[in-house]
Amino acid sequence: MSGRETTGSPARQSDAVIYDRGYRSYEGERRGRGAIRRAIARDGIRRILGLRRKARRKILPWSLLVIGVVMAAVIIGLHFVAGSIAAGIAEGLPSYPHLFDLYSRVALLLIAVTGPELLIPDRTQGVLSVYFSRPMRVSDYLAGKLFAYLTVAGAIYVVPQILLHLGLAGLSDDGFLSYLGSNLDVLWKIPVVALGFLAVHGGLLAILSSLIDRTGFAAAAYLAILTAGNGIAGVIADADFPGSSFVALLALDDHARVVRDWVFDVSLGLYRPQEEGFEPWVSAVAIALVALIGSWFAYRRYRKQA
Amino acid sequence: MAPIVITESLTHAYNSEVVALRDFNLAIEAGVTGLVGANGAGKTTFLRILLGLVHPTSGKVTVLGDDAIADPLAVRARVGYMPENNCLPKDQTAADFVAYTAEMAGLPTADARRRASETLFLVGLEEERFRFLGDFSTGMAQRVKLAQAIVHGPELVLLDEPASGLDPAGRQQMLEIIQRLGSFGINVIFSSHLLGDIEQTCDAVVMIDGGHLIRSGPVSTVATTSVVLVDVLGDAATLANSLTAAGVEALTLTEHRLSFTVAADEDYDRVRDAAAELGIGIFRMAPISHTLEDEFLVIARKNES
Repeated sequence: MSGRETTGSPARQSDAVIYDRGYRSYEGERRGRGAIRRAIARDGIRRILGLRRKARRKILPWSLLVIGVVMAAVIIGLHFVAGSIAAGIAEGLPSYPHLFDLYSRVALLLIAVTGPELLIPDRTQGVLSVYFSRPMRVSDYLAGKLFAYLTVAGAIYVVPQILLHLGLAGLSDDGFLSYLGSNLDVLWKIPVVALGFLAVHGGLLAILSSLIDRTGFAAAAYLAILTAGNGIAGVIADADFPGSSFVALLALDDHARVVRDWVFDVSLGLYRPQEEGFEPWVSAVAIALVALIGSWFAYRRYRKQA
Repeated sequence: MAPIVITESLTHAYNSEVVALRDFNLAIEAGVTGLVGANGAGKTTFLRILLGLVHPTSGKVTVLGDDAIADPLAVRARVGYMPENNCLPKDQTAADFVAYTAEMAGLPTADARRRASETLFLVGLEEERFRFLGDFSTGMAQRVKLAQAIVHGPELVLLDEPASGLDPAGRQQMLEIIQRLGSFGINVIFSSHLLGDIEQTCDAVVMIDGGHLIRSGPVSTVATTSVVLVDVLGDAATLANSLTAAGVEALTLTEHRLSFTVAADEDYDRVRDAAAELGIGIFRMAPISHTLEDEFLVIARKNES
């Protein structure tokens, strides 16, 4: 360590020293791959939400999150007002399965705008050459990113539903705890249905993010496939040629809704796969396949990059 | 002290036509080592093999005592890497990015942030550490790349063309920082196609040309050889052929320049006599092995011929 004296007052001259700290080797704790995956997930969450980024990166995700919470509050308020007038009116208001329709639109936008940011810039800006020089594997990197996606996008589906659940419990004539006790099944149905939406959306996003190098194009392709894809698949499925009904399975966004109706045991609409006679379990398998194919695409692409 | 890198019959081919490295047998000692070769010589491939990012076609690689092929994660935990290409996210601050790369090496968050500040201070970016990387100049970006390579306290740092794209002042500063790393006890392997940088900075040098390992050893011994440069008035090739026929190892470098290896003092007389016999004037004859660049040129030509 080297130092030199400052030119302070004569009385203090010998006390004040400026040190060049130089370089000190790190002798502290070194954690394993689990901690590295958590670090990647934390960074992914920050990236989706625009935290520690420029202000313009925060606008859209936080606006959508606020919209999501406000929507939940409005619905709880409607239940409160309707319940105070007549119980029959409250029963006609949107409930858990309906909310998935509502929030899938919010999530669709959030995932379209922020999802490609999770994977594409690391690849196109060359940052992967730094990341993969660290003691981790491609699977650790992708697991961290997946956790970030599930946390934020999952929160959009689950948090308002939980708020609604607690709100309805608070408004229940049977009492808060009694309502929660008699509706325990909601607590597993909400995450399962949310996972269905997240799997089909995330799988598609992983495929597009692996193939496309521009975040804007990936977002546009994602929105186009999920919004126009159902209609196009329906038109082709209606055409009269052998095996045309299988094209209905390409209506990706409908699969999550079929599974939602299956899980909540309701019928909120007749979706393409159902119109062509496919059982709900086929939609569950289709969702799992999209998620698997997305994982495979991402793994292949990023392994090659490493 | 055991060598920090040992390779045995290391070969890597991208396909049957493109062979990046051929039969490398090498031992790199602790200190600052330069990896020199023209663009495309195989330097980056060699560094990526050391990190375990590229699996060689055949051969063995040991880095800091760990097998880089069988256990690349053990190697990467103890090694830092600065890539040549752009590798910085534009939307993060320098402090956030360097801290994040430290966390990716397993450091707890608080330690990572402290180390990031210290390392950015070391490379001279203490004032700019909260600026976004997209706003950084090339010189500042190179320093951030170096900071992320050393933030986790590696025992060995691999630097791929660290002075690339820098102006003369920036290049000089970067070379001084690399020299400081050596003085801090960090082993450095740094690639460059500029021999002057290597000569100024390194203790040892590894020369690669076209995937061949052409020479390695301490800079002082590599740069001190018995090769003599001869500038002539006339055809250098004719004189070189005559010398070869007389048993002197000679090489034509340019139309009017050749070199020969002094095996005995009488070789100087042989050159004089051969030139006189051919009517070729000699206007300069001097040892050329004072710079690595000359040495590299001679060895590369020798390999070609």
